[in-house]
Parts: sequence; C-alpha cells; structure tokens
Amino acid sequence: MSGERLGRREFLKNAGLAGIAVGAAGITGAGFQVRSAKAAEKRSVPKTPIRLAAISFLTGAAAAPFGIPADNAYKLCAEKINSEGGILGRKIDLQSFDEAGGGDSQVKLARKLILEDKVDAVLGYISSGNCKAVLPLSDELGGLIIAYDCGTHELLEEEKSPFKFPKYELGFRSSAHLGIDNIGLALFIEEHFKGVKKIAGINPDYAWGRESWLIFEKAIKQLIPGVEVVNTLWPKLFTTDYTAHISALIGSGAEIIHSALWGGDAVTFSKQAIGMGLFNKAKMAYSRGEPYPQEVGMEFPEGQIICCAGTHYFLYPEHDKWPLNKWFVESYHKKYGKYPTYPCYHAYQAIYTYKAAVEKAGSLLGGWPTQEEIAKAASGLSIETPSGILTIGADHNGREDVLVGISKKVSGHAFPILDPEMMAIYPAHQVNAPAGIRTEDWIAGWKA
Amino acid sequence: MGNWLVYILNGLYFASFLFLTSLGLSIILGVMGILNLAHGSLFALGAFVSAWLIGTLTGLPPGIAFLVALLAAMLVAGLMGILIETSIIRPMYTRALEYQLLITFGTLLVIEDLIKMIWGGTAYYASKPFTIMGNMHFLTNQYPVYFLFVIAVSFLAGIAIWLIMGKTRVGIMLRAISMDRDMARAMGIRIGRLNTLAFGMGAALAGLAGALIVPTTPALLGIGMEPLIIAFIVVVLGGLGSLKGALIGSLIVGEIRSFGIVLFPEVELPLLFTIAVLILVVKPEGLFGSK
Repeated sequence: MSGERLGRREFLKNAGLAGIAVGAAGITGAGFQVRSAKAAEKRSVPKTPIRLAAISFLTGAAAAPFGIPADNAYKLCAEKINSEGGILGRKIDLQSFDEAGGGDSQVKLARKLILEDKVDAVLGYISSGNCKAVLPLSDELGGLIIAYDCGTHELLEEEKSPFKFPKYELGFRSSAHLGIDNIGLALFIEEHFKGVKKIAGINPDYAWGRESWLIFEKAIKQLIPGVEVVNTLWPKLFTTDYTAHISALIGSGAEIIHSALWGGDAVTFSKQAIGMGLFNKAKMAYSRGEPYPQEVGMEFPEGQIICCAGTHYFLYPEHDKWPLNKWFVESYHKKYGKYPTYPCYHAYQAIYTYKAAVEKAGSLLGGWPTQEEIAKAASGLSIETPSGILTIGADHNGREDVLVGISKKVSGHAFPILDPEMMAIYPAHQVNAPAGIRTEDWIAGWKA
Repeated sequence: MGNWLVYILNGLYFASFLFLTSLGLSIILGVMGILNLAHGSLFALGAFVSAWLIGTLTGLPPGIAFLVALLAAMLVAGLMGILIETSIIRPMYTRALEYQLLITFGTLLVIEDLIKMIWGGTAYYASKPFTIMGNMHFLTNQYPVYFLFVIAVSFLAGIAIWLIMGKTRVGIMLRAISMDRDMARAMGIRIGRLNTLAFGMGAALAGLAGALIVPTTPALLGIGMEPLIIAFIVVVLGGLGSLKGALIGSLIVGEIRSFGIVLFPEVELPLLFTIAVLILVVKPEGLFGSK
C-alpha cells in the first residue's frame, strides 16, 4: 500500500467510499452489524484486566518535559476509568515502559508486548523516529498501536497526493501532527503581525526540526507572500551553548523567529536569549512552546508567540464552560503539583480514544470486540477531551483545533500565561490537511 | 564592531568549558596514558551536584551558595576520580588501549546510572547565578555577566594548573612521568600516588566545568556527552597530553564554532571537523604534541 500511486478518479472513488463507510460506521455502526448479529450471543467480556502498555520517555532529556508528565496523566486517567468501573466492566492494568534506547529497542519492546505479553493495546511514543519504527508493526503483528504524541506529518502520509488511507489498519495517532502547530503559528502571525518582513528559524537538526520549519515556511509564504527568510539555524539536539546562534539571529535583523526547539533545549535557548537581549529585538514563535513558561518561570519573557500543539492549555477551554478541563487540571495539579502540559492532554486522548472505541464496538457487538473491530470503531470517532473535541480521521490520524497565544505576566500566576485577550483558536479544518492529501500539497493549494 | 566583539566573547565562552574539560582529559592522558571515556560522566556529576546544591542551599546568600556548589562539585568529581583510579583503572595500566576504552566506557555508564539513582531521570534547573549576575551593555549589545564570569574562572583555573605543573615539586614529578614513565620510576618517583592525584585533579576540573554550565542549561542525564566528544577533538588537535595544546585547541574550536555559526550556519559541525582534519594532515601529532 505504501507509496502506491492512485489516479484522481480512483482516489475520489476510494475517498467517497471511505467517507460513506466511515459515516455509516460512525452513525449506525453498520461496519459491525452484519457480523455482530450472529456473534452477539456468543460474545462475552473477559474477566481479566485490560493490559495497556504506556510508553514514554522516563529517562533522558525528553523525560522531564514530556515523558514523565504524560506517564503521570496515563496513570491519572487509568485510575479515573477504573474508579468508574473500567471499560465494559474490565479494569485497566496500566504498565509504563521507557521509550529511551532508540527505534530498534522500541521495535523489540513492541514485539514483546504484542506477541509475548499479549497486551490489549500499545499507547506510546513521543519521538517521531520511534513512531515511524513501531507503527508498521501494528498490521504486521496484529496488535493495536496508538501513537499518542509524536509530531511527524510523514507518519500516516504517503509520498504523493492523493494517497490511499488508512496506511495501517491497526495503527493510529490519537493527536494531530506537527502541521497544526506550524500552520497555526503562520495564521497567528498573519492575523496579528501582518506587516512582518523578516523571519528566521532556529530548529533542531533532525527530522522534527526540519519538518516543522518546512511546514511553517510554506504556510507563512502562502499567507504573507512578501516575507523574507533571513536566517535558518540548525543546532544539534542537546546543545548547551546557544550564544553563537543567538548572536547570528540578532545580527540577521529577523522580527519573528520560528522554533521547534523542545525540552531542555528550548529552556536553555530561552534563558541564554534573555541574557543576550534577543527578545528586545525579535519575537519567538515556538511551535510547541506551551510547557516552557511553566518550566522557566517568571523569567520567561512576555510577548512571545506560543502554540499549544492543539488546544491543550490549563486555562483553555475555560473551566466554567468545559468542566472536563477543570477536572483534568485540578486532579493533575493536586496529584503532581504542576499544571498539565500538552503531552498530558495527548496521553488522555490516547487512553480515552481506546476506551471510546472499545465501548462503541462493544455496544454494537454485545461483548468484547477484537483488535480489528476496535480499530474500525476508532476510525471516524469523535470524543470529548479536556481540550475540546478530538476526531480520529478515516486516515487514522487525529484532527484537532489549535490554540496560539502570546505570553503575558498576569498577577496570580507564578509564570507568564497566554494573554487571555490575544488567544486565537484555529478550527481543525483550517489547520489539518484532508485525509489522503499531503500537508505540503494542501498548503501549496491555498489561495493567498 | 560590537557584533564582532560579541562573536569573539561567544567563542571564548564556549572555549572556557572546552578548556576545563580537555585540560582534565589531557592531564590524565599525558601523565597516565589513559584515554578516559568516563570524563563526560564526571562532568555530568559536577553538573548534578552543583544544580542540586544551588536548588537546596536557598537559605544562604546566592553568591555563597554558588561558591559552595562549585567547590562541592569539584570535590565530589575529584573523589569519584580517585575512587575510579584506585579501584578500576589501576589494574589497566599494563593492558592494551582497548581494555582502557572498555573499562572507562563501562565506568561512564555506571556513573550515569548512579546519577539516575540519586537524582532521578528528571531535569534540574539552577539558573539563579546566571540571573542574579545580570547583564552588561556595550554599544548596542547586551551580554550576560555570567558568561564573563565563566571565562574568568576558566582562565584562573588554567593559571592555577600551569603554576602547579610548572612551579611545584608535584607538578615537576607529574611532568617527569608524562615524559618518561620508566625513568621517573627509576628516579624514585612514587608513580601510583601521583597517578591517583592526576586522575583526581583531572576529574575535579571536569566537575568544575559541569558545575559552571548548569546555571545556563538544565542538568540532564547525558549532559556530559557533548563536552566529552568536543574535548576529544581539542585534545587531538592541540596535541595529546599538552596543556598549551588544550588551551590553543579550545580557543580554535570555540572561535571557529562561534564565527562558523554566524557566517556559515549550515556547516556548523562539518566546518569544525574539516579544520581539525586539515591540522592533523599537516601536523599529525597535533599543534603542540610531541612526535
């Protein structure tokens, strides 16, 4: 299936059929009814707990900012689900595993979990490299794998548009990809800084940084055609000294600087940039910057553009309007002493996507569904999450709105928050490419 | 003009860490002939001790707390170095190089795990010294005073090591060992003790470098890998075991990196390695190494 090229007519036919099938499955559960009529009587729900493997970085540079908060959120959600009776009456036995060690060791771990331990689902991966390495195992081994946080848009896209989907029958991503972060930033800059003439980028020198810049540059050039890219810097991962990069950025005269730096790198860069006065001369636009004001504290500068990898923010949706966010934020803060950051929301999305898919399939089948049936139920599913509504597309990729804002010091908060007056929400259809179309091709088709 | 001065300072700042790290590496290599891959984890140990103390000693004035953190990081890394030398390295002196590499790489992993056991897998932030020292302004530029402090400490450490090695009895004996180990032993120098001292001193310098870096970047597992790799370039470039080589090598690498990022951002690392290769082609023993 990978790389298969379809004619336009065939694509439209497939897309239409897929759309009808998804719609029908979503509304009536037609995908199950033929089989379920016979199977329903024999179906039962096993008495044993559901074994879910939650895989995140528990050690290394990505542990503190992403992996450990996400793992905390998995535990919080599993406890909540269990306290409410589990999924179709089965309790969750959540097992946490470390994502460290690289693609090969993660492939070995996933094989063991699926083939030997026979877990019900693998929920995992912050690293795009690990996602790319492991997700193909879903169909190969017949195990349900839900990628929950990794950002690469390449994960479920093919090389050319239009492409056939889903790429994997049993492989999903329960969040949107990096397209929403970078398109969201470009839309925000167009809306609030239309007159910008010079932009630059500082992104980590591997796939994540390169892809983030690629999407941002394409989007901003479509939205503000005259904008000039004056510098692009590619520090390697875990750089501890950004002084030379900061000097180069100051010297470039850029007004807005795009960055997909993450974790300790983003904090290190921010702190050194504060000292060297970069923020007096330019604004940063952080593609997944939501965790960093909380990490850096009051020293994090005001006026920086921050994207939330979705609408994942402890103050949005407002707690009075969306109580699920209030519950999530308060429960997490009470238990772990910090506000949940976007990886926590992503963890919620993964475990609750699994729950909703099982319950949907289970209610139609009258018993515990198979892996394939859960996957069919997940495709086209929409669920309420603390961040709003998440939809899993027919291409098995999550679709979300995206929140972009500007950092501001507000009394009563121990770190700068997003200025409530300047938050912008861009709806899912404005920041996610349609299924079957590559994100870059979709952007290229926009009219300025 | 102001910008160029900042680029030079950036190069000096980066060179300061390289100098402290490669100086320790060079002393150990020169005196003992041990290529110590565990040097990076001693750097990390210093970083964690310092970050932890800066975060813990909140009752003390920040300047005193930072001084205590620096000294404690040197002490802990130095003692760890002595422990490594006496327990693991000593039987390796007569073995081939590959045994040294294996044993020191194993030690690196053990110390990383030790750090994980003590401080967990999370990041330690300790930016207070960086923040309270503030910034200075010149022409149109702003520059953190802390960066200048690091340059000054590194300079003073270099002077101290130069005085120890050049003017004291211990230093002269260490140099004698590095020049001709067998002759030094024949002259009655107690090589065992001096090896331990040299290893401890090199480890303490790595600990100091680690302690100095945490106010600008969080202490994380693996923080010592980048300094280790670039310090190896410096040591090879400057000449194995040469103090002057460590200094000049650090300055060359620091300034090339600083100007390279500004002028040729796409080839930041390749530029560094290309110049290192060119120097080694012309002078295989390094700039100040002996043939």
